[in-house]
Amino acid sequence: MKLSLDGVVANRGEGDWSVQVHGTFTEGIHLVSGDVGSGKTTLALALAGLTAPVSGSVERDGITSSMLSFQFPEYHVTGLTVREECESWGVDPDTVLAATRLEGKEALSPVRLSRGELKRLHVACLLGKEYDFLILDEPFSSLDCREKERVCRDLSGRTQGITIIFTHEQMCFPRVDHIWEISCGKLEYRGRVPDALPLWQHAPKLVRNLLAAGKIPDNISPGDLVEAACRT
Amino acid sequence: MQDVRLRTGVAVLLSAIAFLNLTGAAAAGIWCLVFARNLSLRRNARLFLSLAALVGFFAIVLAITGGDGVSYFIRMMVIVLIGAWVYSEQKKGEFLQLGVWLLGDKAGFDLGLVADMGMQAMDLLIADFEKIRLAEKLKQRPLSATGIVPGGIVLVNNALRRADDTAELLAVRGYCNGGLLCPVFKAPRRDVIASLLACCVAVIALIPVSEFFILYR
Repeated sequence: MKLSLDGVVANRGEGDWSVQVHGTFTEGIHLVSGDVGSGKTTLALALAGLTAPVSGSVERDGITSSMLSFQFPEYHVTGLTVREECESWGVDPDTVLAATRLEGKEALSPVRLSRGELKRLHVACLLGKEYDFLILDEPFSSLDCREKERVCRDLSGRTQGITIIFTHEQMCFPRVDHIWEISCGKLEYRGRVPDALPLWQHAPKLVRNLLAAGKIPDNISPGDLVEAACRT
Repeated sequence: MQDVRLRTGVAVLLSAIAFLNLTGAAAAGIWCLVFARNLSLRRNARLFLSLAALVGFFAIVLAITGGDGVSYFIRMMVIVLIGAWVYSEQKKGEFLQLGVWLLGDKAGFDLGLVADMGMQAMDLLIADFEKIRLAEKLKQRPLSATGIVPGGIVLVNNALRRADDTAELLAVRGYCNGGLLCPVFKAPRRDVIASLLACCVAVIALIPVSEFFILYR
């Protein structure tokens, strides 16, 4: 299973701004980092096939189901109640509500939840199903530290399919296999983790400090970083 | 057309004559074809077609109940065309300038501010609608009447939330009512000629041709 992009140029808005991509996303978890406004969402839409690239070709090999999660969860709401919303994703409402600590709110309209609660619900519904190709645009926004860690644990548990995480998060990451960066309008592959870490320009300060101290973490999840920091 | 005063005046005048009769609608339509630059109908094709469908629905109802549905459809579509032209030429802050020029620093400023915020809200509503449509496509939901309701709730909810945020922001910045603004307008010769021709179009549409050509009688 893979997604190959050959000279793809994705445009935003009136076409006065673009991001170029050349590379292949294989099975595993890919982290794409970049500054705010660097084109992460534009690229996510193009990868999901929701917007046509200006040029180049996108080849999907063995991908039978795909999903894109927008940064703002309210756009995904298609249920009139929280329960209906869970059902619209094809997941068991009771399991999701228990996992997200939203029991007792199943009869509420999803838009009556706070954005943090709605994001929690949305991500839990999304990760409750298996997709061959899953794109998450800023999955950690609007979440508190506890929820970020829970989402990271759930994401780290994804062993099948291609998962691409677009984020400018600097604190909490799942275990990832590959690192990419958007820099100067181009998506660039940094390599497999941990080999990619020294090349990672958007690396969090903690990772940079660990590398400077000669302690290369196995991965970038909170547990891996703690292990590297405590290494003697 | 760069001058918002001329653009708004022309739009009001042409909309009025287009609504009055078919001759006026035809004349206004021709004026639009000649002078309305930047008409982004292709870019907003979905919105334009939705409006056409809505107007078409009411035209059919009118025709069934004994009215002139065809005339209504043509006149309303010309008005939609004029609206699309005004919308595509509109720039941020123009209504505020127009309001102050027209009604002064108090009521004019407030009305202009409301109009500008309304235009901004419309842009955001369109962007929201596009995202909701994409999200529904991702969920592979079939198009249904009941499926529209949650999307509508999200649109209204987002609009109200933004309105709340804007109101709080204005209050925090000390806004009570009115404000100081020195409007600056630029009216090139082409805009003035187009406006004068719009006036001519209105006169032709309002006064029967026989009034001009006495021998015709």
